[in-house]
Order: sequence, then C-alpha cells, then structure tokens
Amino acid sequence: MYELEATADIFVMSTQAKAAERSTTDDPIEVRLVRKALEGDRDGFGQLYSLYGPLVHGILLARVPRSEVDDLVQDIFLHAFKKLNTLRDWAAFGPWIAMIARNRATDFHRRSRDTVEVTEDLKGSDESTTRAAEILEIVKALPDTYRETLVLRLVEGMTGPEIATRTGLTPASVRVNLHRGMKLLKAKLGLKEGL
Amino acid sequence: MSDDYLWDKRGEPDPDVQRLEQILGTLRYQEKPLEFPEQIAPARSINPVFLLAIAATLLIALVAAGLWLMVRKNQMPRNQLAIAPAAHSTPKPEKEAIAPNKPKTAEPVAANNPETQRRPHFAKAKIPAKPALSPMEQQEAFAAKQQLLLALRLASEKLNEVQRRTVAPTTPMKNQHKVG
Repeated sequence: MYELEATADIFVMSTQAKAAERSTTDDPIEVRLVRKALEGDRDGFGQLYSLYGPLVHGILLARVPRSEVDDLVQDIFLHAFKKLNTLRDWAAFGPWIAMIARNRATDFHRRSRDTVEVTEDLKGSDESTTRAAEILEIVKALPDTYRETLVLRLVEGMTGPEIATRTGLTPASVRVNLHRGMKLLKAKLGLKEGL
Repeated sequence: MSDDYLWDKRGEPDPDVQRLEQILGTLRYQEKPLEFPEQIAPARSINPVFLLAIAATLLIALVAAGLWLMVRKNQMPRNQLAIAPAAHSTPKPEKEAIAPNKPKTAEPVAANNPETQRRPHFAKAKIPAKPALSPMEQQEAFAAKQQLLLALRLASEKLNEVQRRTVAPTTPMKNQHKVG
C-alpha cells in the first residue's frame, strides 16, 4: 500500500517539477499572467483583462449592437476566467479569447434574432458620437474579414502588428485585410458623404 | 507612405485614416473594473497522472480480488470432498435404525429409486458451508482478505483525494451563455 502511495506521490511531484521548470522569466507576459491566474491570483487575470480588453471590445463592436458590448466584454472575461484551465497553450490567450468573443457574438445574434433596434445604437451623447456610430454601422456592413481588422485599427487604435499578434492571424493577412477593407470603406463613405 | 501609416502608424499620415481614427476613436474601449463574483475561480484541470494513478489502483484492487476469489475457489472442492462422504454415509445408519427388520433384498430397489438418489445432494445442501480449513489455509485466506480490504480502502482513498483536488467550488454565473 505504501509503495502505491509513494508511486502516486512521485507522479504528483514530477508534474509539479515540470510546472516549475516552465516558470521561467523568459516566458511571454501572457504565459506568466495565465499561470498567475490559474494559481488563483485575480490580479494576474486583471492584467490580462486590461491587456486584452480592447481586443475583445473591438471584436464585439464589429458584430453586436454598441449598447451590448460592455456587458458582453465582462461576461466573456468571466467565462474565460472560469474556463482558463482548458487553455492548452498559455501563449495563445489572445487568439483563444478572440474566438470566445466571436462565438459569443454569433450566439448573441442567434438568441436575439435581430430584435435590437439599430436606431438605439445610433443614439449618441453628442454629435461626434452619433457620427462615429453612423460610420461604425458602415464598417459593420463590410465583409467579416475586413470589419474586425478595421475596428481594431481605427476604433481601438491598435497597429497592424499588434492585431496580428493578439488575434493569431498572420501579419500578411492583417495587412491585406486592412488595405482592402479601407479601400471598401473609403468607397462607401465617398458614396455617402465626404469626410 | 499612407500604406505604412495604416499598417503601423509610421510614415506620412493618410488624412482620411487620421480623420476616421479621430471620429471612431470616441467609441474606443474604456476599461471598467472586472467584477468577479465572490466564489468564482478557474476550474482545475484533471491531471492525467491522477487518472493513471486511479487506473493503477483499480487494477491492483481487481487483481487482489481475483487472487482472493482464486484462493477461495481452490478451497471449495476440498470442502466438498470432505463433506460428500459424510453425506453419503450418514443416512445409512439412520435407515437401519428406522427399519432394522427390513429384508436386505429391498436395498437394490432403494438404490434405483430416484428419490433416494437425490438424498445425498439434499443432505449436502443442508450442511452448513463451513469450510474445513487447515490452520495454514485459514491464515492464507485471512491474509488474502486483508490484502483485498487494504486494496479497496486504498482505491477509495485515492478516489476521494482525486475528487477533492479536481472539483473546484463553482458558483452559477448570471447571464451565462454558451460559448465555444
């Protein structure tokens, strides 16, 4: 019996040793923060939230009504916190949470069945916000591949390389999406009104 | 280079892009504190090593149970052999005691009677199944039983340990939608 227990303990110790081996300072920030969060450190996850909040916000803004975005961002991060143990590659936290956000947006549309009025979304606190909401609606009318990249670039202020790193897309894809998307957007805005 | 500006904000700025940035920037993400419910925590993943330990423990328990059953089975024929002669021999004196004046010619008839043929089996079934074990066999059986009980206890402990480590406290999240 004691031999069995000792064997089980050796197994446990070996896994702990492997985990310790992985904890090097050379790890990307995501890896360190995910590790901290899995150890129960909520501040670690809070830093991930700060780091990836704009990404999730941008992905949602390109897909769901603006009034729903803030609540969904919170929901997605809480869901991610609960399911963090299912993330195999800690460095891929960005692509993982981006996929959760896209799925949640799809799910939102499936449930709401277009009952949300667009006019509510266009209402802004001032003229500039209203104008921004109008342009956002035009961006949202673009093909899927372009609108997310454009929102991340123009609304969230991320650069192309940042978008590529955080979403897991290749830089070449992001570059192509940005240029083609901007070309389409300019054409649509030019038809509608001059900037 | 307006292309470079769109890509990484370097080079000569594109006025259209700058204007769009300025307008759409009003919708930019404004961080709000993440509100964690009280007891929410990341669920702990089940370590494959623990599963392996469970499997090994169960295997050992099964082997121990098998061994114990084998030992028990090996002892059964001896018991039956020990019991069988007694079952066949005991009715005879009773018969003689009940009917001492019965002629001997009646015996072959009784031997052919199916009812009397069943008697030994009936008698065998009535005998309590107390195995006649030698002290050494009793020790072996006791040791096997102890081994089985220890293995089962160990398996139970391990399962409890694994359950305790893997099951994290969960709280129902409000507005939880299916994702992924």
